[in-house]
Amino acid sequence: MSIVAGMPGAAQRGPSRPGGRQQVVNSDGSGERFREVVMPHLADALSLARWLTGSAHDAEDVVQDACIRALAGIDRYDGRNARAWVLAIVRNTCFTWLAKHRPRSLIVAGDISAIDELAQTSAVGELPATPEAELIRKADLATVETAIAALPHLLREALVLRDVSGLSYKEIAAMLSVPIGTVMSRLARARAQLAAAVAEAR
Amino acid sequence: MAENLIQPGDILLLHALADGELDTVSAMALEQRLAAEPALEAEFQSIVALKEKVASLGRPAISPDFHERMAALGAGASASTRPPAANRLARGWQGWQGWQNIAAAVLVTALVASGATYLLAPGRSGMSMEDIVAASHRRSLLAASPVDIVSSDRHTVKPWLDAKLGISPPATDLAAQGYPLLGGRVDVVGADAVPTLVYRHNEHLITLMAAPGTKAITPPASETAGGYNIVHWSEGGFSFWAISDLEAAELMTFVADYRG
Repeated sequence: MSIVAGMPGAAQRGPSRPGGRQQVVNSDGSGERFREVVMPHLADALSLARWLTGSAHDAEDVVQDACIRALAGIDRYDGRNARAWVLAIVRNTCFTWLAKHRPRSLIVAGDISAIDELAQTSAVGELPATPEAELIRKADLATVETAIAALPHLLREALVLRDVSGLSYKEIAAMLSVPIGTVMSRLARARAQLAAAVAEAR
Repeated sequence: MAENLIQPGDILLLHALADGELDTVSAMALEQRLAAEPALEAEFQSIVALKEKVASLGRPAISPDFHERMAALGAGASASTRPPAANRLARGWQGWQGWQNIAAAVLVTALVASGATYLLAPGRSGMSMEDIVAASHRRSLLAASPVDIVSSDRHTVKPWLDAKLGISPPATDLAAQGYPLLGGRVDVVGADAVPTLVYRHNEHLITLMAAPGTKAITPPASETAGGYNIVHWSEGGFSFWAISDLEAAELMTFVADYRG
């Protein structure tokens, strides 16, 4: 991966000779960087957007918006974890998109402080006992999908970022601008609710 | 002491263990408690089962059309950000250049997709694969922890690798044979990410790298590199490299146990 392309100054190097044969036309390399940094993670981006919006069709719209944002902000990519960088943009784009198109989905779970407060007090311990592993293993996938879709937005977000996108607690905490403890409690609550819903559906 | 009561703090720790987010010492301490407390163990197994379930959900496929549109987005960036003067000069070229960009995008994608296949091309960086494996093993011994995900539970390690790379070798449970699983990590060989498992045998570490993308089937063969013994074989779509400071014969026994 070319680090040089992201160095300050690289963008001001001026236009490449138009018409230079075999020369890709990028005047500032952003298109090239986009291909290197963003395109490899398109499937992950789509997957995250699919779970956050709840629709494959909407996911494409969101990812397209996210790609435009990523392209515009490619200079801010610091050369480290490209996947986490791309997914953070997708997550933020989803949030904006949901606020515009499905404000209610955010409002229902909207009282962030209440959920997190609940999670940090003894409430975690008062979660219903998780159903047996065997019961969960037997659940069919459609049930699980429906149950994930029914989770409050904040909990679903934590679950999906971790268990579908495979991001670390640290990466999620940075992405959501919350302490790691909050990520942990949201995740625990999300899984408890999901497990309970899956068991109940049987 | 009420053994069946799970403390609130324990719940978060169980999730962190299942997610491979605990450091080695905490993970070991908690695993010892799991062995002693059935209620904790049951809760842990439920979390693991749920994680596996979610991981097994289908992923939406990218339609070629969508992929092409996004690729074209990057390609289009160049044309639109070009300064006007250059733009005017280049007008005659635009159609041609647009195609050139799309072609470049397709090429890059194809290279990324085929990354694993040239992984084992010999002599790419002047280092043989044995040297690379040895260097990776040595580096892991020097690092604070030889693994990025700590867990003796193969049901934790495999999904972790799957999530990182979308592929993982069988994480066989060999504790009974005297090779407890320490965890996993991702090594980078050339430009490719390679899932790696770490087992322990007495005081020796065994690094098992599994480079995907081979169709070859070759029987285990012993080699040495950098003062370590290496056993290399290919099967099941992976090219395996086991490396350790164990005796060659002992390492071969491990490989035999791993292959079942």
